[in-house]
Amino acid sequence: MKLKQVNIAFVVTVGVSVLVFVYLVFLGYDEIKTFKDVIKIIASILFPIPMLFFVRFILIEHFLPKNTDEYKLKNQRPATILLLIAVVSSLATMQLLEVVTQQKLEDNLIFAHLINSTTISSYVLNYVLYNNLRVNGILSGVLLSLAVHVFFLSS
Amino acid sequence: MNQIFNTSNEKKNTSKRELLFTFQSIIVTGLLAFTAIAFFYYNNLNIEKGIKVVFAPFLSVVPLLFILSILRDLRNGFKEGNYNKPEIMKFGLITIGVTAAFTGITYLLSEIDALEVLLAAIIAVLSTVFFLRSKIKDILGMSIITGIAEGIIIYMIFLF
Repeated sequence: MKLKQVNIAFVVTVGVSVLVFVYLVFLGYDEIKTFKDVIKIIASILFPIPMLFFVRFILIEHFLPKNTDEYKLKNQRPATILLLIAVVSSLATMQLLEVVTQQKLEDNLIFAHLINSTTISSYVLNYVLYNNLRVNGILSGVLLSLAVHVFFLSS
Repeated sequence: MNQIFNTSNEKKNTSKRELLFTFQSIIVTGLLAFTAIAFFYYNNLNIEKGIKVVFAPFLSVVPLLFILSILRDLRNGFKEGNYNKPEIMKFGLITIGVTAAFTGITYLLSEIDALEVLLAAIIAVLSTVFFLRSKIKDILGMSIITGIAEGIIIYMIFLF
């Protein structure tokens, strides 16, 4: 019974993430100029999905560790530290890349979508199936830094 | 009692793997159709002989059907337990290799300038996928199909 629910959750996750990304594409509608851009964005959105299926295929058994208070307490500190490290290091990486290549992330919409869709998919997958708190910390950090970068640090 | 529970649980794992494999092949089919449409519109392909378009699929579909009907299953099917580390490494590397190879193959597909040739090539790849799907029901088939999908996507993102 439990297994079936988890499986349904997996399929629903993939569906919802596809929908969210299609929506995001339409939000960035102004930057889409040619038919080629549309193809590239669709491809970058689809990028994580075959990989997710492959990972799920291999790691079919080790899922859902007991989400006890003890497990949470044990992983709280390392997860928080990883979150902070991930935020700082990916912000620094993005700033460095922008300085080095003299280009803005918003001008390269495809890469923004690629990073975003890959991180969101693995985040949701990890949250629903494996519940590894440290991985959760890293992925949250990457997403948060991407959001901070787009919101505050780019003009 | 415990025995019954265990076997049903393991059987579920196998069927879940099979379901994932089916989903993956559906995704690959969709991606191939997407590739055909993208190349057709973007490269402005012309149709040289209409009759060739009709007969292009038969080139690979007929051999596929013949092979499927005479061949027995080539692999033992999906494993029920977990894969060990060397196996994961090996099939991960196979996936990366197929991805690289398929990025190249997609590049070759983009060089084709007649619709009937493109159609024949895409149907040939599609037949290979269906062959893997129905006869090589194994992690090997899964890694090849994943490689095909990722190869097409990587070509579309970075090289198109």
